Amino acid sequence: MTATALDPSPEVVALPRPAWGRHAIAAVVLGVLLIPVPLLLPQAQQAVAVRILVFALLSIGWNIMSGFGGMFSFGHAAYFGLGAYTSVWLLVEKGVSPWLGMLAGMVAAAAFGVLTGFLALRYRLKGAYFALSTFAFAEMLRLIAINSSFVNRAVGYNVPLRPQSSWAFMQFEPGSPNYFWIALALTVAALLVSIFFLRSRQGRFAVAVRDDEDAASALGIPVMRTKLLTIALSAAISSLAGAFFVQYYFFIDPDGAFGSSISIQAILPAVIGGVATIWGPFIGGVILGPLNDLTATLLRNPPAALSFLSGRAGLDVILYAVLLILIVLLLPQGVYGAIRDRLRRR
Amino acid sequence: MKKPWIAAAAMALPLMLTACGGSTPPGASGGGGGGSSPDTITIGSVHPLSGASAGDGQQMDNAAKLAVDDINAAGGIDCLKGAKLKLDSADSQGKPEVGQSEAQRLIQNGAVALLGTYQSAVSQNVAAVAERNKVPFVIDVSSADAILQQGYKFTFRLQPSGTVLAEKGAQFLSDLSKKAGSQAKTVAILNEQGPFGTAIAKTFSDKAKSLGMNIGPQISYDPANVSDFTTQMTTIKESGADVLMVAGYYRDGVLAAKAVSTVKPTLNAVWGVANGAFDTPQFPGEAGAAGEGFFDVNYRLDMTNKDTQKVVKAFKAKYNDDIRTAAVLSYDAVRVIADALGRSCDASPAKLRDAIAKTKLDALVAQDGPIQFTEAGENENATPIVMQVQSGEVKQVFPEGSAQTKPVYPASPGQ
Amino acid sequence: MTTPPRAGGAPLTEGGTATAQEKEADAPPPSGRRPGWRSSVWTRLAVSFGIVVIAVVLAYLRAGNGVVVWQAVLTGLLIGGVYGLIATGLTLIFGVLDIVNFAHGAFLAIALYITVQAVTVLGVHPYLALIAAVPLMFLLGAAVQRFVLAPAMGKPLENQLLITLGIALLIDNLLLLFYGGNPKSAPLPGDHGIGVFGAVATLSRLLAFAVAIVLAGLLYLLLQRTRLGTAIRAVAANDRGAQMVGIDTRRIYMATFAIGTACAGAAGVLIAPLVTIEPTSGELFNIVAFVVVVLGGMGSVVGALVGGLIIGLTEQLGGLLLPGQSPLLAVFIVFVLVLFLRPQGLFGRIG
Repeated sequence: MTATALDPSPEVVALPRPAWGRHAIAAVVLGVLLIPVPLLLPQAQQAVAVRILVFALLSIGWNIMSGFGGMFSFGHAAYFGLGAYTSVWLLVEKGVSPWLGMLAGMVAAAAFGVLTGFLALRYRLKGAYFALSTFAFAEMLRLIAINSSFVNRAVGYNVPLRPQSSWAFMQFEPGSPNYFWIALALTVAALLVSIFFLRSRQGRFAVAVRDDEDAASALGIPVMRTKLLTIALSAAISSLAGAFFVQYYFFIDPDGAFGSSISIQAILPAVIGGVATIWGPFIGGVILGPLNDLTATLLRNPPAALSFLSGRAGLDVILYAVLLILIVLLLPQGVYGAIRDRLRRR
Repeated sequence: MKKPWIAAAAMALPLMLTACGGSTPPGASGGGGGGSSPDTITIGSVHPLSGASAGDGQQMDNAAKLAVDDINAAGGIDCLKGAKLKLDSADSQGKPEVGQSEAQRLIQNGAVALLGTYQSAVSQNVAAVAERNKVPFVIDVSSADAILQQGYKFTFRLQPSGTVLAEKGAQFLSDLSKKAGSQAKTVAILNEQGPFGTAIAKTFSDKAKSLGMNIGPQISYDPANVSDFTTQMTTIKESGADVLMVAGYYRDGVLAAKAVSTVKPTLNAVWGVANGAFDTPQFPGEAGAAGEGFFDVNYRLDMTNKDTQKVVKAFKAKYNDDIRTAAVLSYDAVRVIADALGRSCDASPAKLRDAIAKTKLDALVAQDGPIQFTEAGENENATPIVMQVQSGEVKQVFPEGSAQTKPVYPASPGQ
Repeated sequence: MTTPPRAGGAPLTEGGTATAQEKEADAPPPSGRRPGWRSSVWTRLAVSFGIVVIAVVLAYLRAGNGVVVWQAVLTGLLIGGVYGLIATGLTLIFGVLDIVNFAHGAFLAIALYITVQAVTVLGVHPYLALIAAVPLMFLLGAAVQRFVLAPAMGKPLENQLLITLGIALLIDNLLLLFYGGNPKSAPLPGDHGIGVFGAVATLSRLLAFAVAIVLAGLLYLLLQRTRLGTAIRAVAANDRGAQMVGIDTRRIYMATFAIGTACAGAAGVLIAPLVTIEPTSGELFNIVAFVVVVLGGMGSVVGALVGGLIIGLTEQLGGLLLPGQSPLLAVFIVFVLVLFLRPQGLFGRIG
């Protein structure tokens, strides 16, 4: 609708708003569409699908703080690990149900995030320095866990096997579709939470602070509070991935919880799918997950031309790395971002 | 606005592609239960075929293959109409979650039993998979006591547990040093800080104290990051300890030898307990004169056993490599499974498990009797023996029944 | 992400007194003090020395034995020299190109494997590998900068971080793919312990330290006395200004990255006889190098050396002060303290 200068009463044109409602509906529909997946997949692929969801969940959390909040986190394993260790410690030492353990994990992770975030932000760390500090904190948690008998040192914890399937303790037969459904529910919930967060005032504050902190502060936005809230939410969501991970794999140790490979797995899906987009981490996870399985199969039974690959390791990470570099160089908005922008231009 | 819908569709697509077996072609994996037919029985082998322990893992897998070939050549499983064994190998990469998913995959492909895995954390996870799927799992190498303290019914272990290794380690030190006329007085401990080293250090020091020895400084280190032991060795030298106990892996064992020869602490002996370096054939070469006289208390292939000698020769002929004890244990693991199949006459995992529980089989490894499993699944006759590096070779020296030659004590390491 | 591209980097002179350009978005805001005795180079050196002395005393109290502490100090200083050389390359890259190079450790790992090849395949003395490693790494660094990093310059910081991360993962896993995970070694022939006032150091460690100091000194001379060095310092101080004066900044970026990578390569060859070589060996030194650079001040070569010595000491003394914990923990504690108390490091710009 155009209005010329001579029109006596031009209509007010509303600014276009992101279609949050449609994103939310899409998330729910996606969730419903994916329900039959575990029933259709053989067990091996089911494990891949669950893994995709777990790391997509982790990355969705990362994206809130680093993508939308602009605070690049290189130590997201800290939150994953706190979610994992809190829930498994409560389960093994106190017999608490993992559902409650998950909640406790979210609280622990959010608290840690707020504490370390506060310290870092108070000392005005930004950019590379902030990222390095997040890495340092995750590493410190790892080193402390390794040497602390309170959490069983480097041995880690094993989830005790129960004689029967139990919803209360989130344990089912191997290959049960319940695992996938729980992971799916958590991931869809995380998507919905990020959508609602971005739609909310706090979310818009966070983006404003990211884009121009001084202007935001001049407008009266409480910068520190906004940033800490973003960090807390990011930490809580990522901690869910950790808590579920333990229940699915029955085992956690300091390296698996706080190791840098987890931090990297938090970043990769988002960057490949599209940082600072709702769907980016999920798409990235879906692209990377089968890649792992594909390369494992390739390494196990390579075709004759690539027979030197047999019995070697590392091919999957090489592919991730190449993909990462290509995406950052050529498609910096990620796969989803690029598709979205192309559609916008039409 | 079509964007969210397109996005949703774009995502569901790859997931569905995975479902069509985009990554694992249907034929290759064989589907569930397709791997075992009446004529072949599949055994799954999970070892670190890549990563830092690949050398040992590959040897163990090869030894398992050799065992399968030997058994098939001898006619397969008699009471199952000569059914042949087939080995399905998987790479744990030394990582617990990979080992776990590989074990799951092997079971889905029809393995009726599993063997492995070398790293305790991996074995712990594979044991959980085995228990949940009710498939027997025979551990060739993994020392952590905890694995068999959870009431699992489907896991069995061939090597002596960490407790047995550490307690015998202390006992043998006391006996051997007393016999040599220089009873060990103060033992310093250098252990890797992971569960393996920590458990050995603790059990050893408890037992040593109960035998009247003092424990000197106990120093732990991070095996992944350590590059030099000079400072630690100086601490040990200054403490006046007369024996140094080392519990760690291959790399750090070599570094410890170098530090001993550099710092020259006045020790009567360097006493390894389940040390990853001191009894390996490549250690004397790599450490050189620095490693001369080093002891190790560990499980060991029994060179006085004719069957063992045959396996050593056959392995050398087929793989051009000197077999180490870990791989001999893998060979034994296959023998245990085949022997159990021969008694159960039934390839179903549950019956196989019951047959394994009743095993009574002579081992290729030095033991106090045949392989026999306790209620918990431990091999009750498994025992370590003492070895020493003499003139650049690893020799069995104690107890006398398993000795090839006499021990040299004090060994004056580094001097 | 819409964070604006950064302005020019920190000066590459010693001392690091304030210059015109600040990296606004990263550094803490200027406090408005005039430079005085508080911020002079000598004060900072004295403070660092004082902290080290305190740490030594504490370690003595904890360990109860002077010989042990002296041994720790000696080992710490020796390894610290090599850390300094690794960090010099990293800090140079950051000072000029503004890139936090996560791939630095991976380049070092390549040099480790070159040394292994030299020793096992060619049977030569490991230090001879310097002849191959330094030029190779120089060329590799130049190529990587020209073809992979240059397109991303001026883009948000995170892009560059991610690219160097990708390069690091790529290199580490290519090494894993080709060489396998089996640990390898490249020992120095004729290595033996040498007594130093009651403590011991192996010849390989002493040599590594000596050569590292020499190389760092050469680099310092390069920066101060040659045209290239001056051009590099100019670009570091003000890249737009340098362009206006006619310096081809693209070439300087390439050259600097190449030099930095060559430093990592040289350090790798020197370290090779001291460590067991695995594809992930580079990662450990990467972490330490970052801590050193932050401690010394991003962009300061002298800071990198001093920082290296301090971190080497921290590691060894930390092992004495916190027995039962990984010495790496002490290093991280120092890291976090520096990040909070003085993020521009010892020799970075005055805040």
